[in-house]
Amino acid sequence: MASVVTGAQNKRPNPNSTSAAATREGDQLIITPLGAGNEVGRSCVYMSYKGKTVLFDCGIHPAYSGVAALPYFDEIDPSTIDVLLITHFHLDHAASLPYFLEKTNFRGRVFMTHSTKAIYRLLLSDYVKVSKVSVEDMLYDENDIVRSMDKIEVIDFHQTLEVNGIRFWCYTAGHVLGAAMFMVDIAGVRVLYTGDYSREEDRHLRAAEVPQFTPDICIIESTYGVQLHQPRPVREKRFTDVIHSTISQGGRVLIPAFALGRAQELLLILDEYWENHPELHNIPIYYASPLAKRCMAVYQTYINAMNDRIRTQFANSNPFDFKHISPLKSIENFDDVGPSVVMASPSGLQSGLSRQLFDKWCADKKNACVIPGYVVEGTLAKTIINEPKEVTLMNGLVAPLNMQVHYISFSAHADCAQTCGFLKELMPPHIVLVHGEANEMGRLKQKLVSQFADSNTKLYTPKNCQSVTMHFSSEKMAKVIGKLAEKVPETGESVSGLVVKKGFTYQIMAPDDLRVFSQLSTANVTQRITVPYTGAFEVIKYRLKQIYESVESPPVEETEVPTLIVHERVTIRHESDTYVVMQWSADPISDMVSDSVVAMILNIGREGPKVTPIEEKTQEEMERMARKVVHSLMVSLFGDAKFGEDGRLVITVDADVARLDIKSGEVECENQGLRERIKTAFGRMQGAIRPIPKP
Amino acid sequence: MGTSVQVTPLSGVYGENPLCYLVAIDGFNLLMDCGWNDLFDPSLLQPLSRVAKSIDAVLISHPDILHLGALPYARKHFGLSAPVYATEPVYRLGLLTMYDHYLSRRQISDFDMFTLDDIDVAFQNVIRLKYSQNYHLSENGEGIVIAPHVAGHLLGGTIWKITKDGEDVVYAVDFNHRKERHLNGTVLESFVRPAVLITDAYNALNNQVYKRQRDQEFIDAILRVLRADGTVLLPVDTAGRVLELILILEQYWAQQHLSFPIFFLTNVASSTVEYVKSFLEWMSDSIAKSFEHTRDNAFLLKYVTLIINKSDLENYAGVPKVVLTSMASLEVGFSHDIFVELATDAKNIVLFTERGQFGTLARMLQVDPPPKAVKVTMSKRVPLVGDELKAYEEEQEKIKKEEAVKKASIVKVEEVRATSSHLSESTKGDSMVIDPASATASPKASSHFRGQMDILIDGFTPPSTSVAPMFPFFENTAEWDDFGEVINPDDYVIQEEDSNHMVGNGKSLDVKPDEASVHLLLDSTPSKVVSHELTVQVKCALLYMDFEGRSDGRSVKSIISHVAPLKLVLVHGSAEATEHLKMHCAKHVCPHVYAPQIEETIDVTSDLCAYKVQLSEKLMSNVLFRKMVENEISWMDSVAEKTNEKVFTLLPPPSAPPTHKSVLVGDLKLADFKQYLSTKGVQVEFAGGALKCGEHITVRKISDSSQKGGTGPQQIVIEGPLCEDYYKIRGHLYSQFYLL
Repeated sequence: MASVVTGAQNKRPNPNSTSAAATREGDQLIITPLGAGNEVGRSCVYMSYKGKTVLFDCGIHPAYSGVAALPYFDEIDPSTIDVLLITHFHLDHAASLPYFLEKTNFRGRVFMTHSTKAIYRLLLSDYVKVSKVSVEDMLYDENDIVRSMDKIEVIDFHQTLEVNGIRFWCYTAGHVLGAAMFMVDIAGVRVLYTGDYSREEDRHLRAAEVPQFTPDICIIESTYGVQLHQPRPVREKRFTDVIHSTISQGGRVLIPAFALGRAQELLLILDEYWENHPELHNIPIYYASPLAKRCMAVYQTYINAMNDRIRTQFANSNPFDFKHISPLKSIENFDDVGPSVVMASPSGLQSGLSRQLFDKWCADKKNACVIPGYVVEGTLAKTIINEPKEVTLMNGLVAPLNMQVHYISFSAHADCAQTCGFLKELMPPHIVLVHGEANEMGRLKQKLVSQFADSNTKLYTPKNCQSVTMHFSSEKMAKVIGKLAEKVPETGESVSGLVVKKGFTYQIMAPDDLRVFSQLSTANVTQRITVPYTGAFEVIKYRLKQIYESVESPPVEETEVPTLIVHERVTIRHESDTYVVMQWSADPISDMVSDSVVAMILNIGREGPKVTPIEEKTQEEMERMARKVVHSLMVSLFGDAKFGEDGRLVITVDADVARLDIKSGEVECENQGLRERIKTAFGRMQGAIRPIPKP
Repeated sequence: MGTSVQVTPLSGVYGENPLCYLVAIDGFNLLMDCGWNDLFDPSLLQPLSRVAKSIDAVLISHPDILHLGALPYARKHFGLSAPVYATEPVYRLGLLTMYDHYLSRRQISDFDMFTLDDIDVAFQNVIRLKYSQNYHLSENGEGIVIAPHVAGHLLGGTIWKITKDGEDVVYAVDFNHRKERHLNGTVLESFVRPAVLITDAYNALNNQVYKRQRDQEFIDAILRVLRADGTVLLPVDTAGRVLELILILEQYWAQQHLSFPIFFLTNVASSTVEYVKSFLEWMSDSIAKSFEHTRDNAFLLKYVTLIINKSDLENYAGVPKVVLTSMASLEVGFSHDIFVELATDAKNIVLFTERGQFGTLARMLQVDPPPKAVKVTMSKRVPLVGDELKAYEEEQEKIKKEEAVKKASIVKVEEVRATSSHLSESTKGDSMVIDPASATASPKASSHFRGQMDILIDGFTPPSTSVAPMFPFFENTAEWDDFGEVINPDDYVIQEEDSNHMVGNGKSLDVKPDEASVHLLLDSTPSKVVSHELTVQVKCALLYMDFEGRSDGRSVKSIISHVAPLKLVLVHGSAEATEHLKMHCAKHVCPHVYAPQIEETIDVTSDLCAYKVQLSEKLMSNVLFRKMVENEISWMDSVAEKTNEKVFTLLPPPSAPPTHKSVLVGDLKLADFKQYLSTKGVQVEFAGGALKCGEHITVRKISDSSQKGGTGPQQIVIEGPLCEDYYKIRGHLYSQFYLL
């Protein structure tokens, strides 16, 4: 159903539809990643179809700072965007939102889920505080965030909203609390944007849902490429085993993790493990993140966005009231006397508390460091995964790396198996891969190409600012309702009525029904005008008869005063000796008729009563005169025109001969063009020489 | 041609009986609400019993007895097995409401209409939806889409939109267009021209005072009593309007730093508030906003103490206080007992915030003038432990008859006893939600049972920290699934029952009917219900203020006329109100207004004809749309071509179409037009209903077209002598319309 052209530069309309090129322009669906195209970070995908524009996500790239971290907003005109949809609160999906809302001319509407909005506020405030960039590099400040909060609207899972004819709703994505996958429906074409998603149910989050409708296009993340996750129980066991064995040997465990999202899952695992192992109760678990502590209220409130397991627990006690985990403000408050487990941010060990603890503990081989998620290239965490002999501390000294380093990923992104399974269930005809390093994405693409080899699925991996264009032939359906639909037409019968378009739905109805089926209403404007006239009413009648074919004068008994009705449109009443009253219902033709009548009446007044009736011409005379006029006009138009033997007018233009029957108006001619022209010309002549016929 | 729609009321028409209506859409039977009244009168459910088995789906609109009370009974006795659809709060709060009613009933009678188990079973197959979630029904409901929308009356309250083939049936009862503290107003007004609107006439004759004024009067009334050392009793529902009242009080107490204690007392008070705290996404924008900015959950109550046991109030016997307690009907529950205590003292006030259900004590007290004395039945459950104790109990009864005030407190002592007896026997694994307040309060209870209690309480130490019954501090490892506690049905089997009213069930005063209450019911001593009548002198002040949170008559009318349904069905409202609204709507809204009787099936199938066509590209490229408000509109001439059995394609006509009668589209408001003209420098004024423009020209609108919902086009007349002004003003008038 859709023809596809890739590449923004050399897009050409489908050759077989040159005539319809203009109308097809609107049927192009364009997808352009402004960020996260062949990279991880600054997710931002632009989509436009039928003049409606949607932007998905608005993140920053964590590896850059200042304006360089933004998606390529200058590729688009922010003022044209109708809807901006944010999938979840992570910085690479939401952090350029205050900038976009406050520093650009964006005027559309922004939506995210309730919990995303609540955490977004806290997370970005924290981000602004801790990001150590110069003032001029700051993209926005706290006030911008607060102002942006007023513009952000909320949407609940499965709730269907409509803005400007764009319908959209969201599904659980399972990545972090409040993470959503958005389905957008524009004129029947559905686009699914997954954001970050995970098909695996964990301790507190539901697995990503599979939408019940197949989207036409699926824009999907590819973070993990063709990698496969270990089964969750295995990972959990490794995780708890490492921790248990370390502390039972008197060691300390460091878990560098991002404050929100996966950290809560790890805390749930730890809290449960401690609960089941009373022998560990004297070992403290610390969680060093004031931000996470502040967000805990959000976790404790939006229980309904989580899975059934946690909701069941909630019936008894709030599972996010951890029993064995205590918060830790800073390293100064930390009493490092014996075995302990500390979860601290940042996850990359770049600086901050996690780095301070790392520096302190790295030389002791009893200690362990568990890296629980995706680590970004270039950070210390990435370095130590390869277990180098030595590391450089923050103070510049080099220390031996004796502590054990474990990489156990709990990051809730779909792996290859999940992605393939998800797409297999959906079978979208178009798949656009985003949010993945070029290599990983390439491998995933190969894998998917072979998986969908026999189906007609098309795969795209656009780079940033590279557009993918697809055509969807739109079948516009309309509903004929009301009086107009009383009879279902047969082929060839005409259907005429008002078309009302709302969003992308069309209704065809009779004008009388407009009020019934829409909020619009129709009106009749009756016009009544008084024209001064002192002459005889008969004169008006006579004059009108010369111009109009139908001038009726109903008997005076019915109308009280002498009355004329012209073409059943305009009523003229002789109400007094000094004026006549004209009344008609407004529409262009009646207005025109009334104008001519007014002009005529005024002229009678000017010419005075000297006008005398000319003798009425007979029908025959009229015809003869008409013939003469038509003939001479035809001669002036086409040159060679003369009456033939059968009374028809023979017109010869170059080699073409046409015969015109003046009575019936039929034209006989082999040249189509000439025939049409003669027909048109004759029609106009007829209009000019005869009284205006009744419509 | 259209979708067939039939409506059959099963209860709740021409009166205030519970709501229950059958809506059949193309043969698919939807039950709209399944209500019962506070008296649980089975005769009301007769019509339902006849159709229950044929029902395909149940849609619930609000979490109160009038809207969902009969679910457990109908499921158990009538074989109603269809899936139930409701929003999450309606499900959760409805469940708590049912528990509360059951427990209150059970305390004073051998209530056997349904059991806790029946409630759980009935709620097990509730499918929970979000607001404006389009849910596609399957199987024989194929093609029907249901969607809940904000009703604004109770938390999670729903107006249902049922769509089939583009035709909407809207079921909107008890909606409230006003934004309140915890709820947004209804979105009913955003539905335009549904095929059928089913709505209630409940408030058609009531008009409300201003909200702010009413709130102030409410607070004033309460403070007057408190300052005079009185107690304020607010009989409320379990989990509905009470939330709004709690917020009003919280807010005012916080503003004024008042120290009068406020108690919220129901069998499920703490669970209710705990759940409500997690329903922020269903509440008003301002609550959501305050949470987003400061993470202050509005239902983190600072001034209202949640209690689930009446004995907790005894510490505050003489203290001025506000007590919000269920049931609103005063028929049963804590409110009944507390009313009896308070009624005899002129210092106190009973402040009704909703109209009592017909035939209840609350309704009797709301008449004007209020009765001087009312007869009430005091019932309580007495455990039977040997004849001696039994005789003793009865003796106590006689004494207590003379001291009505003391009586209720002893009921509570009984409950404490039951709890304690259970505690000693409870085994590991089913640790229950202990009510520490009741434990601490017990020494103050009357001394008759003290000795026993000490023995029974052996082995259990209430946590010293738990001064107030704060919900999250208790642990419970009982297994829960999506629908509540995983239970063993055997636990619910009534063990013995004999002619002596001896049943195996004790009373349950637990917060949640979890493992604990199951055991409680099972383990407690055999008991019987002792009832006696007494006459209570009503000396306390009685006051009714409307906090029902429903749109008032005037707003209902304007909302209906804005929605302008093609057909309107009126239900639930006194005969007078129904007739009144029917007359009004027939005149001003639409000619098809129905107010069926019980079990009278009316056919509201729209007489609308419709068929689908495909619009060809060629045709559409020649159609130029003009924008009007939300719509784009154009005139189209086309020729039909049959592409297959059902679908036509419209193609452009082969020749120039005949001219059509032109249509002026637009809605002219004379006032707006006047303003427009004056900006164009025309002298304009109203004179005798007409607009006088310039010196001679008048513009008028004629007759009924000015009324909303009138079906004909507007009639506008412009008249005047032939002059330049005439054409100028006509030009301006034309500019208000689109000519097609």
